[in-house]
Amino acid sequence: MASNRKKSRGESLFLRYLILGGWALFCLAPVLWFLSIGLRPRTEIITPQPIYIPTFSLDAWHMIWEDWPMGKYLRNSVAAIIGSVIIDLVLAIPAAYSLSRFEYKGRDDIGFYILSTRMMAPAIVAVPIFFLFRNMGLLDTIWALMLVYAAINLSFVTWIIRSYMLDIPKELEDAARTDGAGEIRILWEIIIPAILPGIITASVIAMIFAINEFLFTLLIASTPDAYTMSVALANFTGGSDGVIYNAIALVAFLAFVPVFLVVVAIQKHLSRGLTMGAVKG
Amino acid sequence: MARIELNNIQKKWGAFWGVRDVNIDIKDEEFVVFLGPSGCGKTTTMRMIAGLEEPNEGEIKMDGEVMNDIDARDRDVAMVFQGYALYPNMSIYENIRFPLRMRGVPKDQHDGLVKKAAGLVELTDYLDRKPSALSGGQRQRAALARAIVREPQVFLMDEPLSNLDAKLRQAMRVQIKHIQRALKITTVYVTHDQIEAMTLADRIVIMQSGMIQQIGTPDEIYNDPTNTFVANFIGSPPMNLIEGTLSDGTFVADGVRVTGIESTTEGKVTLGVRPEDCTVSASTEAELNGTVYGLEPTGDVTYLTVKAGDKLIEVKADRTYRADLDVPVQVAFDPDRIYVFDSEDGKRIQ
Ligand SMILES: Nc1ncnc2c1ncn2[C@@H]1O[C@H](COP(=O)(O)OP(=O)(O)OP(=O)(O)O)[C@@H](O)[C@H]1O
Ligand SMILES: [Mg+2]
Repeated sequence: MASNRKKSRGESLFLRYLILGGWALFCLAPVLWFLSIGLRPRTEIITPQPIYIPTFSLDAWHMIWEDWPMGKYLRNSVAAIIGSVIIDLVLAIPAAYSLSRFEYKGRDDIGFYILSTRMMAPAIVAVPIFFLFRNMGLLDTIWALMLVYAAINLSFVTWIIRSYMLDIPKELEDAARTDGAGEIRILWEIIIPAILPGIITASVIAMIFAINEFLFTLLIASTPDAYTMSVALANFTGGSDGVIYNAIALVAFLAFVPVFLVVVAIQKHLSRGLTMGAVKG
Repeated sequence: MARIELNNIQKKWGAFWGVRDVNIDIKDEEFVVFLGPSGCGKTTTMRMIAGLEEPNEGEIKMDGEVMNDIDARDRDVAMVFQGYALYPNMSIYENIRFPLRMRGVPKDQHDGLVKKAAGLVELTDYLDRKPSALSGGQRQRAALARAIVREPQVFLMDEPLSNLDAKLRQAMRVQIKHIQRALKITTVYVTHDQIEAMTLADRIVIMQSGMIQQIGTPDEIYNDPTNTFVANFIGSPPMNLIEGTLSDGTFVADGVRVTGIESTTEGKVTLGVRPEDCTVSASTEAELNGTVYGLEPTGDVTYLTVKAGDKLIEVKADRTYRADLDVPVQVAFDPDRIYVFDSEDGKRIQ
């Protein structure tokens, strides 16, 4: 009996690893694939014959850094993304606090309105946004990118943070209030530390959206001054050189790596649990 | 350091009355204990005193000043929350220190005050832990320490010892009483524990369904309950309540006959007698004639359950008392300690 059970336990563990391993491979295969494309010579990639022993080549690597201002694109991307996330947090945290904690007329309507901005197709506002930025003289600047990314992400960042705030026991704020803390103190010293996982989760998702944003970036960035990684990718698809697959693959990989590293680094914060131990139970 | 008056306080949620017609005048330096079954409005009343909940009607005064519109942070009360409400991201040390920082206590005093409060609740060894790394009882003591770390106008304590073992509870009870006496701080305290209520309170407030049933000193509550609810709620085991009829000063029920009751009431009444006012008797003239239904020796006292008719009556018998089940037994009631209540509304008649 006992050994039987043990055996089936081992089998189910094996099965679990098999399924999870298979899933991981399925997700990672494209990444490995374009890494392999990016690190091979261009001629080898476009031959129709199968190649069993790939040749290693840094052609694409040299090309993107030397022939193209990839460093600048990377800096633009990072600046625009980080800036947009900061703008989002500065606006979303107080908004979420208000939506989750105070009772006033129309609160739920406002909450829904904020979310509904996410429901329309971005293309609808593309033209107005173009004219808006042109009139403000912000076309072709990373400031414009920052604002657009922030605007796109603001609604769901607010909602994620709000849902985390709703999970905080109200007694915690009551305690802080009787201890003599004002609203700002409560927000800063009690709420924000308690919802840090939520803030991090929302920020990471916002970053991923921003790094992949293409439509508005293309609209706003008309010269390499404001190009980001995602738009830079498009540069390798046309022109007299044809489609430069290995450069595309390498840039795509480079755009993937920072996000991947960020997610790995903060993985443990992505789970909830900081509010544990706050109240009885 | 403050007198608290609650005048005609009402708290409603929709059509549901959380608290109703509450009138209490808590004297300066007084220790008042709220006692009542779960959901009777103890926490709600306390939260209204703290300023965390607004009454729909009525006035809350502190030292004569109406406090209804004063924010919780400006009321200078310290509260122990029923659910502890420790700040999860802060260490126990920082939790206890938080009110000192918020209330502008000079920085150089913080360390001493925090350690003193932690010492009183025996948590000195746990100061650098996070609340999540403490047991339930330790968390509760941390919450208590956070309240007693400074000297507020009022202490509000919502079941602050409910999660401690008997020994620690006794020790903390002594500490709380000592601190309250030494600092002379008006205290409102909620508990389910009668011993806590009897030992700590200057006055006890008994609540039921949002309404106050009786306010009085522990002796008054025990000796002069105003109705069957209070009579039944205080005392362990609770007072025996026997339905029967009263005529000409004689009460009669199945197996029970009590003479010489000084009351002009006739008809259906409820007779109350505490288990500790009953004695096993040899006389067939005794008030209660029944059979032994159960016997629980506890060491210092033996609890005897007597069956009379379909009624079970608790008796606190001598610790050496032993009897077989189902044998006949006679019990005498202390004639000076018999209560008579109205059968309809439970109000005390005599
Ligand atoms: N925010 C609220 N909305 C609606 N009803 C509430 C609210 N808060 C409390 N109540 C109700 O008011 C009544 C009194 O609650 P309260 O918390 O004061 O009880 P309590 O006497 O402290 O009970 P316990 O001993 O279980 O802590 C309960 O029936 C409760 O369900
Ligand atoms: Mg309560």
